[in-house]
Amino acid sequence: MRIIVDEARCEGYGFCAEAAPHLLELDDEGELTVLTEQVGQDERADAEAAVRVCPVAALKLAP
Amino acid sequence: MTSLAEGPALDLDLFSDAALTDPFPLYRRIRDTAPAVHLPRYGAWAMGRYADVRGALGDWESFSSARGIGLNDLANAATQGMIIATDPPEHDTLRNVLAARLSPKALRDLRADIERRADELVAPLVERGSFDAVADLARAFPIMIVLDLIGLPQDGRDKVLGWADAAFSASGPPGPRTDAAFPLLQDQLAYLSGIEPGALTPGSMGRAIYDAAAQGLIKQESCVPLMSAYVTAGLDTTINAISNAVYYFAEHPEQWDLVRQDPSLIPAALNEVLRIESPLQFFCRVATRDVELDGQTLAEGSRVMMLYASANRDERKWDDPERFDVRRNPVDHLAFGYGMHGCAGQGLARLEGHSVLAALARRVARFEVGTPRRRLNQLIRGLDALPTTVHAG
Ligand code: SF4
Repeated sequence: MRIIVDEARCEGYGFCAEAAPHLLELDDEGELTVLTEQVGQDERADAEAAVRVCPVAALKLAP
Repeated sequence: MTSLAEGPALDLDLFSDAALTDPFPLYRRIRDTAPAVHLPRYGAWAMGRYADVRGALGDWESFSSARGIGLNDLANAATQGMIIATDPPEHDTLRNVLAARLSPKALRDLRADIERRADELVAPLVERGSFDAVADLARAFPIMIVLDLIGLPQDGRDKVLGWADAAFSASGPPGPRTDAAFPLLQDQLAYLSGIEPGALTPGSMGRAIYDAAAQGLIKQESCVPLMSAYVTAGLDTTINAISNAVYYFAEHPEQWDLVRQDPSLIPAALNEVLRIESPLQFFCRVATRDVELDGQTLAEGSRVMMLYASANRDERKWDDPERFDVRRNPVDHLAFGYGMHGCAGQGLARLEGHSVLAALARRVARFEVGTPRRRLNQLIRGLDALPTTVHAG
């Protein structure tokens, strides 16, 4: 499973990175980086939490 | 229209004085009846469960904003082209102008200044001991911060708040409250149209709107509606969040103790205030196709009230939703909406809210409040006055 960022929608709130710091990182410039290409089964809950807390629905999980 | 109205219906009046004073039992009836309930009085549907509201807000292709977010045709026509009443691609062009100034990154440099101004406002109030938490604190702060950021000239500022309040209320159902509010929405637009771009503070958010138009990024006729978005959305919501925070912490002193012992709880505390007392009660969407909801079909063309305030107290989502608990940290509440139209100013609102709570936490041991006076608005829930005494410590 992968985390997909809709860059046009992401406004850099960073809640996703707070929810899943090992999966997502927001740098000082407000750029969001997905740290893990392939999200494993054990990280799935964190990835879902990150998607859930984004206030502008900029994140998606894709198979 | 009748074909649209097949399905569970309730003859509720959500806009009577009694309902506006305490809408929560009505919201519960809506939630407990069906995913979407027809309200014949308004020719509209209401959606009250968290999962459905969030799902709809995240799906603009099925739930459009472009036919207006209100319950009457006049307001829906008057707000046409305003960002809250657009879909992509128009929405995205306008949103970019706001986000360029309101994203967390853009706000970073403002933090220290806003924190300092919160402190300068709170310190003398605490010294005084007694004040009105609405007029002296909750209103004073966003008015000063937000109107400065927009760069409005001093002249006319005193009217801006009343207009903002009316601009929300004007989107209610046809009736006397809407009739009273609508002319004020027009006054707001007339006032904004009368401001020369050059009169806006250089570098301000307002000036940036006109700069964007000058650069051809947005249309000239989008400027006043975007200004309206700033001066409408930037005030009432934050004002109510701050006064509600004072009220809830007065009623729940043990929760205030938790915040004081651990100020890192402040963001969670603000989220909880917003969840339990969402300033914005609803906006509408219109279904662009037949939508399946948990075994129910919502017909294309249905206007649906998205009851944010109900979703935020949905027992299907929240454990014991009536309990005010600063440790809950409901990060996914819907008080700022959700998705593409999620409040563009939420970073600023949070910054203001956190700064005020932090300034209070440094000085106030206990709040005591008298009887609050409610301000009845068809879309916004909040207080008009809250006599407050604080005990320093
Ligand atoms: S929470 Fe959403 S908007 Fe914020 S950084 Fe993450 S993806 Fe971007």
